[in-house]
Amino acid sequence: MDSHAVATGALYGYRNQKSSSTNNFFESSVTLETFLFYTLGAVSVGSALMMVTRRSPVMSALYLILNFFALGGLYLSLHAQFIAFIQILVYAGAIMVLFVFVIMLLNLGDEKKLNERFSWKKIVGAGLSFGVLMELIFVFAFSKANLPPSHFEKATDIGTVENIGMQLFTTFLFPFEVTSVLLLAAIVGAVVLAKKKLN
Amino acid sequence: MVDQALLSLAKFLPEITLAITFCLALLVGVIFRSRPRLSMWVALLGVVVSIALTIREMGITESVFSGMIAVDPFATFFKLIVGSSAIFIFLFSLYSAEVLSTMKRLVEYSSLLVAMTLGMYLMVGATNLLMMVLSIELTGLSSYVLAGYTKEASDSSEASLKYIIYGALSTGLMLYGISILFGLTGGAMDIYAINRALVTSPVNPIALLVASLLIIAGLGYKISAVPFHFWTPDVYEGAPITITAFLSVASKAAGFAMLIRFFKIAFIDSSAVGLPAGIWITLQGFEWNKIIAILSVLTMTLGNLVAVWQNNLKRLLAYSSIAHAGYMLMGLAILSDKGIAAVLIYFVVYMFMNLGAFYVVMLVSNKTGSEDIDSYKGLGFRSPFIGVSMVIFFISLAGLPPTAGFIGKLFIFASLLDAKWIWLAVVGAINSVISLYYYVRVVRNMFLRDPDENSGPLKFSVPEIVLLLLLVVPTLLFGLYYSPIVDFANASARMLGVH
Repeated sequence: MDSHAVATGALYGYRNQKSSSTNNFFESSVTLETFLFYTLGAVSVGSALMMVTRRSPVMSALYLILNFFALGGLYLSLHAQFIAFIQILVYAGAIMVLFVFVIMLLNLGDEKKLNERFSWKKIVGAGLSFGVLMELIFVFAFSKANLPPSHFEKATDIGTVENIGMQLFTTFLFPFEVTSVLLLAAIVGAVVLAKKKLN
Repeated sequence: MVDQALLSLAKFLPEITLAITFCLALLVGVIFRSRPRLSMWVALLGVVVSIALTIREMGITESVFSGMIAVDPFATFFKLIVGSSAIFIFLFSLYSAEVLSTMKRLVEYSSLLVAMTLGMYLMVGATNLLMMVLSIELTGLSSYVLAGYTKEASDSSEASLKYIIYGALSTGLMLYGISILFGLTGGAMDIYAINRALVTSPVNPIALLVASLLIIAGLGYKISAVPFHFWTPDVYEGAPITITAFLSVASKAAGFAMLIRFFKIAFIDSSAVGLPAGIWITLQGFEWNKIIAILSVLTMTLGNLVAVWQNNLKRLLAYSSIAHAGYMLMGLAILSDKGIAAVLIYFVVYMFMNLGAFYVVMLVSNKTGSEDIDSYKGLGFRSPFIGVSMVIFFISLAGLPPTAGFIGKLFIFASLLDAKWIWLAVVGAINSVISLYYYVRVVRNMFLRDPDENSGPLKFSVPEIVLLLLLVVPTLLFGLYYSPIVDFANASARMLGVH
């Protein structure tokens, strides 16, 4: 079973790291690691908040990029190099370009056109995100004692490209292959939808 | 590792066949550009071969590809359901005016249907969270495109877009639930490992509840359970009828297979001793079967009540299929192998009667170009055979003897009463009565109303009639001679790693 979750060990890195760094913090020896953790954490939360509160879509997109970079930095500080680079490459690189394209094509420059009315949808949305926040706090702050021990001892070994590659071509070989079929289906689908003409 | 992968391949022939067929159908389409029908025949042949290979796998219980997929009687059963409905859908497509009107793109249509079938074959066997998500996505991506496929009209595009947005949302919710579960269990992705972790070290029940509710959101979307059903009527109405029929039977079957397997393996107390054979209990402090029971009541009640007001046959059948998902969910809430077997029996029956009803709608709409209930006026006189077949399908959907639908409902209700879930059985029975009303409404239009003056008799070709017979005969036959499907379902309720 151990091998199953190795590739996703970054999360454990996260958990181990977090608990050890908080301990360090209380022992009043603020290492570079803890400093980075809190700085990047603050940047990511701050940029996420800025992103949802900006009126201009372009500003939101820029804050989202900042958020991606801060998250990438967090991954890096947790020894998950591969995930960190993928985060920057895929999210900050590819997905953001898509966002910017959509903003450009929709021509959302005039933010006054956006609906600013107070609606029940917003209340539901706010309620949901508050619920998720409470749930996260609940799970990670109050139920720590109940969490089973991590399957991994050395988080530093997990995040390397070698390890992830190894897992990808042994334990996770089959899902990896299925992904290729998935992508082929997606490509065919995209072509079909793009060729379609509306009356 | 290599040896194991090679050994796994040998147990994996149906899926490999489908993957090859998918590529081959595309290639044939590219090479023989002027004959798009050819790739449909290739696709049909591929599915037939995959079914033959699935039948060869009957009785095997094994885990393949380092625990990613289970090949067991349960999965084999659902593969047969999915595969046979795929064959029916291909045959329907050969006579569907809608599909044939966009002949040029028949290649993509056939190949995506195969991809969707492959996705569902993987869904029914997935025993790993990663595989579950990947297979749902493969099924989903193909079906989003197919739903907005043939008609170059806005309602078909609307259907596709709605399906994508709801699909993305529900998959997102499900992934979020999975990530919570992953964290709670110390990084388990294998559903057996999740169960071990949950049994040995009890976790916070509220966190577990939230995680499983989110996962139910993802799976509930696939089986169109209330309150995750919003896409169903619009997508069913906008999509080509062949795809609607496929979504309502195969997609639902695959979703149910995954739901049942996931809950039955991950969330039961596998350390409990002294239980009677075939009965299981939930994890302590987490009675998920009550959630399922509530979902089933909501699903069937809403489905049946809203169906009463529908005038479009596709929408009516959409709500009716929501209601049927509700009946089948009852079987899971019981927590016994008997309940699961009842669901399996229901699926065999449901496949014939629901595909049949959609096929009649397709035949009528081929001729009249309409799916409105008014275009069914006097259908019984314009084409007696089609009319009588539709009555049989509707009686079966309502669950009246002597049709197969009665047997399906009978086993569900019997297992409910057996497990002392009286109130749920009563709700189910009341729902069946409501459903009778809207089915009879259509029947009344067909036989008690005169056809419009300028409408002559409808003529159908011999192959169309033969295909209809292939669905009518089992619907009647299994109502009278049901022991083979009951035996088959009982044998198929066995899953890998559950005793």
